[in-house]
Amino acid sequence: MIPEILKTRAEQGFADQFIAGKAGLPGAGNAWVEGLRDAAWKTYAATGLPHRRIEEWKYTDLRTLLRDAYPPAPALAEALNGDDIAQALGKDMAGIDCHLLVVVDGHFRAGLSDVSGLADRAKVHSLGDALGDPEDWLKSALEQTRSDTVLALNTALMTGGVVLRIEEDASIGKPVHIVHLFAAKDAASITTRNIIVIGAGAEVTLLESYVSLGSTPAQRNSVTDLRAGDGSRVQHVKFQNENLSSVHLTNWMTRLGADMTYNAFQFSIGASLARNQISVAFAGEGTSSHLSSAVMARGKQHNDTTVVIDHAVPGCESREFSKLVLDDAARGIIQCKVKVHRGAQKSDGYQMARGLLLSEGAEFYSKPELEIFADDVVCGHGSTSGQVDENLMFYLRSRGIPEAQARALLITAFVGEVLEKIANEDIRAAFMNMAETWLASEDE
Amino acid sequence: MAGVKERKTTEMLEIKNLHVKIADDDTKILKGINLRVPKGEVHALMGPNGSGKSTLAYVLAGKDDYEITDGSITWNGEDITGMAPDERAAAGIFLAFQYPIEIPGVATMTFLRTSLNAIRKARGEAELSTPDFIRLVREKTKALDIKDDKLKRPLNVGFSGGEKKRQEILQMALLEPSLCVLDETDSGLDIDAVKIVSEGVNALRGPERAMLIITHYQRLLNYIVPDRVHVLSDGKIVRSGGKELALELEESGYAAFGAAAA
Repeated sequence: MIPEILKTRAEQGFADQFIAGKAGLPGAGNAWVEGLRDAAWKTYAATGLPHRRIEEWKYTDLRTLLRDAYPPAPALAEALNGDDIAQALGKDMAGIDCHLLVVVDGHFRAGLSDVSGLADRAKVHSLGDALGDPEDWLKSALEQTRSDTVLALNTALMTGGVVLRIEEDASIGKPVHIVHLFAAKDAASITTRNIIVIGAGAEVTLLESYVSLGSTPAQRNSVTDLRAGDGSRVQHVKFQNENLSSVHLTNWMTRLGADMTYNAFQFSIGASLARNQISVAFAGEGTSSHLSSAVMARGKQHNDTTVVIDHAVPGCESREFSKLVLDDAARGIIQCKVKVHRGAQKSDGYQMARGLLLSEGAEFYSKPELEIFADDVVCGHGSTSGQVDENLMFYLRSRGIPEAQARALLITAFVGEVLEKIANEDIRAAFMNMAETWLASEDE
Repeated sequence: MAGVKERKTTEMLEIKNLHVKIADDDTKILKGINLRVPKGEVHALMGPNGSGKSTLAYVLAGKDDYEITDGSITWNGEDITGMAPDERAAAGIFLAFQYPIEIPGVATMTFLRTSLNAIRKARGEAELSTPDFIRLVREKTKALDIKDDKLKRPLNVGFSGGEKKRQEILQMALLEPSLCVLDETDSGLDIDAVKIVSEGVNALRGPERAMLIITHYQRLLNYIVPDRVHVLSDGKIVRSGGKELALELEESGYAAFGAAAA
């Protein structure tokens, strides 16, 4: 049954999980869901975990980096309350006024969530429940055909997540905050999926936080599938601060309608191994996508952000701006591919990645890729890496600012420049505080 | 200069036989400078490009691209050559940069406050409260014709040359240093900006403050009238005199003073 291609203990472990656990997964008994999972499982089993000879995974060889497959986190095992959520988020994030959706160890927890303020503007469901008898629109959202084995593994093993539908022309002021919490007592894997559908003309800020309670190692595989309707205005922010023994694999799959704006941001400071995969597909003309990220890593943290922007239709604009602060032996990776399809004229794409290296052992890899099959487009890319600028240091010190404080000010400024891209002031201020806290804990 | 003679003799900048080279190679730039600037006086240092004017400014502020191979620099009798740039700032030394640095991501107001509070802390003074700080900045910016929106923007980013120079004078006015070194403060300024900047500098003249104005041209000295003028050529001071020396230079050029015209 298990093809021979599976070589490593981790690959075999995930395979065994599916065989042993599929009867207990949400949607078991529903023929369509079982078929979906079986097909995904076969895709995974045929190739196994991605490795360095697959170009998109060149810098993050999961076959080597994942030694074992942790068992799935037990469902609803932990009795938690709001204080636990706040503790895991930290005071800056917990202080953000929001509509709260909580997913613990891969399962949506209505009791910990508060969606009363969304009223008739949005509908929230548990994906685990929805899989019992999925509606047609949900089926189409779950069907993914790309050759991504981590995505296939997610489809085979997903236990839950949030299904969020925002009504047409709804305007939601406070952020809708989806908190993905890892709280299991023992090392465990969590496989979640969020399905978000935003109606035409709606305006919303979505915030996803990935955090852990305690230091138990986790392996997270999370997918967020987002489809935004014509004329909508969407801010989509991710905060990742999983504990430092965790593996964090996330995959944002975004599909944008016409004449809309998508403003996305990812702030990543946690996890020992993080892979932030983002794909943005333009499905309608006249849309702009601005995607930014800030990464702060030290020790042996490995953080890989891999982006694919798909200009499938004419007249869209894409911007990607990344900043990485890397200390000790941390490794930061930015891969960004911009594809402009034949006929996607008047496409406008630009990407910039900047790495700030605070120590000799830190590594920054930047790989821009442009694939352009139209002749009337503007596309560009840039990348810089360097240390803290000594001329700036001298200027600040000549104004009485001591060395350590001057250095912290400049690093904060480096990160601050990209945090400015976040439109929501509460989120921006929380991230800024956390960046400062990160710097202040440098000597620990 | 009346009254200056009664001052304690150590209350001055005193540079003796200063030799400086570039730290990374053997290029010698300053070749035996001797200079005294007492508190209460404004001295101008003039000279052609490449004579070592800016190097002297940087060495006074403590930039580590340079190495002192001989001689000494004392401020109020204290040797400053071993002090870090921030320690020198706390001791009252301020360099107004020829090319003020742009710092993206640091709001001007944040920078000013961090700087002022760091210096106050080093001097054993309490930090200013936010309202007091804002009041103080308002008062200083008004005189320099600096608009509020500039204070919210990242320091010097997208500022014109004149705006950057005004920011330097603003910092000087806020930090109230006792030794001001102004490096080519007039370069790149139109005549109106020269007037505004000069007024800002003149407002800071006083018995407790020594100033060294570094300039290539005499023009600035029409507005900031010096007590003494020194001519620097090839790393040495080749002539010193009163304010009339600047006018003489303007007419005859540096070549007449044995300096190679740049």
